[in-house]
Amino acid sequence: MSIFEDLIESVIQGDEANVKELIHQALKNNLPVKEILNEGLIKAMGIVGDKFKKCEFYVPDVLWAGQAMKAGIELIRPFFQQVEVSPLAKVVIGTVEGDIHEIGKNLVAMMVEANGFDVVNLGVDVSPEKFVECVKESGAKICMMSALLTTTMPAMKRTIEALREGGLGEKVKTMVGGAPVTMKFAKEIGADGYSPDALGAVDLAKKLIEAYGEGAKK
Amino acid sequence: MNTGFRSQCVPNYRVLTEYHIKEIHAATLEVLGTVGVRVLDEEGLQVLKKAGCQVEKENIVHIHKDLVEETIHNVPSHIIIYNRKGKEVMHLGGKEFYFGMGTDLINTIDLKTNELRTSNLQDVINAARVGDYLEEIDFIASFALPQEVQTNLMYIECFKAMLENSIKPIFFTAAGKEDLEFIIEMAVTVAGGNNRLKEKPFLIHYSEPTSPLSHSRSAVRKLFLCADHGIPINYTPALLAGATGPVTLAGAITVANAEALSGIVLHQLRAKGAPIISGFVATTMDMLTSSVVYGGPELRLTHSACSDLYHYYGIPVWGTAGASDAHCFDQQSAIESAISILMAALEGANLIHDIGYLGQGLTGSPATLVMGSEIIGYVKRILRGFDISRERIGMEVIQQVGPGGNFLLTEQTRRLHRQEHWQPKLMNRDNPDMWKERGNKTYGERVTQKAIEILETHKPEPLPESDRRTLEEIIKKAEKSLAGIRFVV
Repeated sequence: MSIFEDLIESVIQGDEANVKELIHQALKNNLPVKEILNEGLIKAMGIVGDKFKKCEFYVPDVLWAGQAMKAGIELIRPFFQQVEVSPLAKVVIGTVEGDIHEIGKNLVAMMVEANGFDVVNLGVDVSPEKFVECVKESGAKICMMSALLTTTMPAMKRTIEALREGGLGEKVKTMVGGAPVTMKFAKEIGADGYSPDALGAVDLAKKLIEAYGEGAKK
Repeated sequence: MNTGFRSQCVPNYRVLTEYHIKEIHAATLEVLGTVGVRVLDEEGLQVLKKAGCQVEKENIVHIHKDLVEETIHNVPSHIIIYNRKGKEVMHLGGKEFYFGMGTDLINTIDLKTNELRTSNLQDVINAARVGDYLEEIDFIASFALPQEVQTNLMYIECFKAMLENSIKPIFFTAAGKEDLEFIIEMAVTVAGGNNRLKEKPFLIHYSEPTSPLSHSRSAVRKLFLCADHGIPINYTPALLAGATGPVTLAGAITVANAEALSGIVLHQLRAKGAPIISGFVATTMDMLTSSVVYGGPELRLTHSACSDLYHYYGIPVWGTAGASDAHCFDQQSAIESAISILMAALEGANLIHDIGYLGQGLTGSPATLVMGSEIIGYVKRILRGFDISRERIGMEVIQQVGPGGNFLLTEQTRRLHRQEHWQPKLMNRDNPDMWKERGNKTYGERVTQKAIEILETHKPEPLPESDRRTLEEIIKKAEKSLAGIRFVV
C-alpha cells in the first residue's frame, strides 16, 4: 500500500494519530505538499462524503474523519506559501443575533471545515456588526448564518444588509440555514445560498467558491 | 457489584396476572369437560376414546381435565426451526418473537400498476423473494394464493415456489392430507431424507380447528400426518367473537383456548412429544359489515391474553400482526400494522405471521411487506430498551462537554450511536426542502419503489439442480394422482 492509500484510509477511519504520523513521514520523504493535500487529504474527504451520501457513514463518522483531516492540514499549512498552494477559502459562521441555538450551526461548521475550508466560528447571538467586522478582518469569502427560531430569522436579513452597507456586498457570499429557514425565505432576504442540511451546505460552499474562481478569471 | 441490579431497562407488558390465568384456565377445562368438542375424524375419535374420553352422540367428546393437564405438561416447550440450508434460525419458546408472512391471499395489489387483481403464482414467487431479502422477516409463507392453478395443486405449487425462491423457513398451508403428503415429500427431498427433516425442520404447517369447538376431518388428518412425520404444526383456531364464539372477550378467549388445547391433546395422543405451536386468535365479527376484523383492538387484547396463557403453559405460541382491514396500502394499513406489531412483540408471541396482510386477509402486496419489515425494526428497538450502567450514563463525558458544549464530536457518540439509535431505511427524516428536492414522495411511494428494486436486484440462493428436477417429478406425480379427485373435508 502506498503512503497515500494509507493516508486516505486513516482519514476515512478518523484516525488522527495515524494521519499525523503518515504526514510526518511523507514530508520526511520529500513528497510534494500539494500532492499530500490533493491526493491524500482532500481525496479522502471526497470518499467520506460519498459514503455519507450512500448512508454507509453517519454524521459522527464524517466529523471524525474531518478532525483527522484538519490535524493533517495543520501540519502542511506552513508549507503552503513556498509551494504555491493557494490558501484555503475562509468561511465565517455564526448563529444570528438573539438566538443561542448552536448544534446545527456547529455541525455545518465542522462539515465545512472537514471539507477543506478555514472556518471562523463566531458562536451564538452574533450581531450584524460582529459579522461585518469579522468578515472584513478575515477576508472571508463566505458568511454563513444560522437561526432556529422564526423570531430570530429577521436578524439574517439585517446581517445581509449590514454586510452590503459595510461595502462587502461584492466580496462575500452569504449562506443561510436552520430548521425553519427555507429556500423561499433565503431568496426573499437576498442570501446567495441556502441548504437544508450540512452536507448540502458543503456542496453549496464549494459551488460558490468555484464561481469566485471563474469570476476572477474573467 | 450491585446486588440484584440489572442495568438493562426494557418495556414489560402482560395483560393477565397469574390469578387471571388460573381463572381462564379453569373455565377452559370446564368447557372441555362439560361441553366438549366435536371431532369429525374417526381416527381422532379413536385416540381420544382410548385415552379415556367420553364420546357422546354427534361425535362430541368430553375431555377430562387431568388429560389436558398431563398433555400440557408433556408438550415440548421449545421448538428449533432451521432454514433450508440447515442453519438454526428460530427458537420458538419463552418470549422470543419472530415475524413472518401469512398465506392464501386471493388478491394482490400489483406493484407496477397499483391495480387490485387476483393473485397468481408469480405473486407467490415475488413474495418469497421479497421475504427472503428483508432482514426483519424471519420466515416466509405463500402470501398469495395462485388463482390460475387448480385447487388440488395450488399448495404444492406454492411450496415449490417458496423452496426455489428463499432459504428462510416456510410457513405453509395445504388443502388436505392428500396434497400435504406431496408437500412433505418435497421437503424430505430438499432436507435429504426423512430423518434429516425431522432433525432439522425448516417448515411449519398451518392448520386450524373450526370455531366453535369443532375439529374437521381434514384438520385432524393434517394434524396427525404432521405428528407422524415430526413436522412442526401450528394448529390454532380463529374465532369470531359474537358469531362463531361468545361476544365477550372473556368468553371468546375461553372457547378459543378450549379449541386450541383439545387440538394439542389430539396431536400429543397421536405422537407424544411431537412439535406443536399453539394459541388462538379471537377477533370480532364487525357488526355493521359482518366482515372478519383483522386490525381491531379486541384482537390485540385477546391475543395478549393468549400469549400470557401459553407462556404459563410453557407451549410455543403463535401470533398475528402487521395485518390490516384496509383494501389498499394506505394510512389505515399503517396504523393497524404498527400497533399490532408493537403489541405482538410486547406480549412475546413466538411465531407471528401475517405481516403485510390487507383487506381482511384477502389482499397482499410486496410493498406492504417492506413496510412491515421497517415497523418490526422500529419495534425491536423499543423492545431492546436501554442500559443504565455507569458506563452508559457516561458521567465523564457529560462533565467534559459541560453546559453549552456539544456531544457530536465525542468519542462516545461515535462509538455508540449505532447501538443506541435505530436508523430507519425508508421513513422520512429529511427537512421539508430536502424532501421536496428528493421528489416529495410519500412513504407508500418509497416503499413500493423499494419492493420493485428488491425484485429487480435480489437473487435468492437457488436450489441444487438435482433437487429442482426431483421437485418437478413430484409435481408431475401429484398432477396424475390428484387430478379431479375430491379431497376429504
